[in-house]
Amino acid sequence: MAGKAEKLEYAWIALVVVMLTIFLGILGYAVIGEGYSAPEDAVTCNVKKLEEQITPGVKEVAPGVYEVDIVARMWAWQPNEIVLENPKKVIFRITSADVQHGFEIVGTNVNFMVFPGYIAEITWYPPSDAEGEFLIVCNEYCGLGHQNMYGKLIIIRS
Amino acid sequence: MASEGGARFAFEDKISRAALVFAFLMLAVGGLFGITQLLARTPYAPQFISAKTYYTILTGHGVFLAIVWTAFFIVAFSNYVITRELGVNLSRTLLGFGALLAIVGSLIAGLAILSGKAAVLYTFYAPLKAHPAFYLGAAILIIGTWLIGAAYFKAYLQWKKANPSKEIPLGTMGILATWIVWFEATPPLAFMVLKDLVPMALWGKSVDVLETRTYFWYFGHPLVYFWIIPAVTYWYHILPKLAGGRVFSRTMAKVAFILFILASTPVGVHHQFVDPGISNIAKFVHTVFTFIVATPSLLTAFNVLATLEIAGRMRGGKGFLGWLKTLPWREPAFSAGVLAFIIFGFGGISGVVNASYIVNYIVHNTVWVVGHFHLTVGTAATLTFMGASYLMIPALFGRSIYSQALARAQPFVWFIGMSIFSFSLHTAGLLGVPRRTYNVMYAGNAPDAWIPLLLAAALGGIVFASSGAVFVFNALASILAGPRINPHPKPNLAELVDDEEVGPAGALDRLSIWLLLALALIVFAYAIPFYEIYSTGLSLVPPVTPEGLRLTG
Ligand code: HEM
Ligand SMILES: [Cu+2]
Ligand SMILES: [Cu+2]
Repeated sequence: MAGKAEKLEYAWIALVVVMLTIFLGILGYAVIGEGYSAPEDAVTCNVKKLEEQITPGVKEVAPGVYEVDIVARMWAWQPNEIVLENPKKVIFRITSADVQHGFEIVGTNVNFMVFPGYIAEITWYPPSDAEGEFLIVCNEYCGLGHQNMYGKLIIIRS
Repeated sequence: MASEGGARFAFEDKISRAALVFAFLMLAVGGLFGITQLLARTPYAPQFISAKTYYTILTGHGVFLAIVWTAFFIVAFSNYVITRELGVNLSRTLLGFGALLAIVGSLIAGLAILSGKAAVLYTFYAPLKAHPAFYLGAAILIIGTWLIGAAYFKAYLQWKKANPSKEIPLGTMGILATWIVWFEATPPLAFMVLKDLVPMALWGKSVDVLETRTYFWYFGHPLVYFWIIPAVTYWYHILPKLAGGRVFSRTMAKVAFILFILASTPVGVHHQFVDPGISNIAKFVHTVFTFIVATPSLLTAFNVLATLEIAGRMRGGKGFLGWLKTLPWREPAFSAGVLAFIIFGFGGISGVVNASYIVNYIVHNTVWVVGHFHLTVGTAATLTFMGASYLMIPALFGRSIYSQALARAQPFVWFIGMSIFSFSLHTAGLLGVPRRTYNVMYAGNAPDAWIPLLLAAALGGIVFASSGAVFVFNALASILAGPRINPHPKPNLAELVDDEEVGPAGALDRLSIWLLLALALIVFAYAIPFYEIYSTGLSLVPPVTPEGLRLTG
């Protein structure tokens, strides 16, 4: 009886180890093999001289390739409305002029932290069926007007 | 030793009673804030509080519940388990002075919050600035807990000296693991608060966001094990005895405690998966440790279930699931613990999703996370502590529970309400509803699909909040007006705590070695992100108040 219980115990431990190893393997493969990545690149910047380091706005650098520079401040995104035509690849460069914010485009997997003192750089490949209006919200508490901090992303397909 | 009464531990029990009453009051205030903010952020609800009030009570909700209610309950529980199981007195100076500091610190921070000058939420992310009293109160609270924790280790060493070859009793092992994790977690946080945040609040010192965040989450994750290990201890040690059985595997239980000691701290970066400025390597290392620290939870799931099955069969349960029916579901100390344990399983599943950092950005900072931690700290810990209270009130106050009928129903109502609340919030989170936001409808710009889920969450919240209100009422009524009982209430907590199966000491009982290994893992895991942060060079930014005022140039 005791032997049977012990066997069950070891079987469960083995199952746990195998399961977690598989999960980790999938994660590692997705990052290294498929290039999925959480945001990691950032350069430091001086909050007092932001204009010299980032110019809020949208630039199309090649057909379908956009560079979008954004400054977050209490309580708006600058620019607050982003229009992209047939985007294939979008490089966001974002920083904050005051406190922490969170940049989330609802309905996509764009979601990351925005810090004062750091310019974050994130590349997004919009799915080809992404079209129309998307709500952009701030999802990190940033002071009493946090709920007023939202904007719009418009994707036009032609 | 179990039968030795309160007289020998009169002082310890006095502190436990104070801690318990303070914890219940905090639960009441925090719960009231919870239901208020829930209704305020529900679609169609009238905006009956201002944004400032919303964020003020949200700060209070986080601090009073996640920190103060849990910590004070854990102190009362730890006192009881250590004194009754080891039969050793706790240092009066450490325990008494520590409890005093902890209460004073909580009150200072609490008043700073209630005065509206600390609407920075319980994570107090720099450079948002609160009133200095908020940070000082928090620091005093932490120092108080250190003295209390020291009292437990002193008692343990004293016991060990008298019993050099005995293994550590199971309940004590759980409590020691809890406090070891607390001592791993808190010193760096206290260091950062004193080095950066107090000067920031007092004279406007500029600070680095990534650095202070990394210190915060260094603390933030082991904090969750500080809540969970006592609950796990209760499931291993008290539940089986309530059901009339014994723990399925003592060794597995002890291994789980050791794994908690080893891996609950080197994982904090899993709260920073979407932080720019931290490399994928650091994120991956912390992911690996996070999966390792999921192991003891999975072991616990197996062990507790097996324990319950054995107990159910010993009570005459037959068939594949028939043993479930014979368990003592009418005993609230039992049902609360088991229901909390079931909920913990679901919390673990959503936790593994959070920890998988390439899907984390789907759920980060959405109400998915709110759904997740109401399962873990909000239920696995809180509902277990409620169940334990049904034993601790009779044991410490000498009074039975005021209304047995209410106590019997309360855990089930919590379970049902929480299931609705949490399921709705997990789903709403996948649709992108942000957390920590007063009015998430964005003046009509929010997707319509959010609305039914938020309404369902409000319904679930009302249900479990009423269960919470019933609990606090019943607990306070028992303390003030419960029927007085003769020495031994049934079930008797002192007997439940006593560990009769203590055998010889083994490798699992050599806590200092495990602690050293834990420190090595922490140094390894944190060398990477801190190297990255400091080698890039800090980027200092000035403080800003929640109103948007800048105090320095
Ligand atoms: C009594 C019924 C409760 C209700 C109705 C409730 C409701 C809520 C809601 C709606 C939020 C999200 C607010 C937002 O993100 O804007 C929240 C946050 C939170 N709750 Fe609860 N809750 C309750 C009990 C608890 C308990 C018992 C605990 C833990 C012991 C807890 C811990 C937390 C924490 C830590 C947060 C996060 C605060 C933050 O984001 O800063 N809650 N609660
Ligand atoms: Cu915000
Ligand atoms: Cu964590």
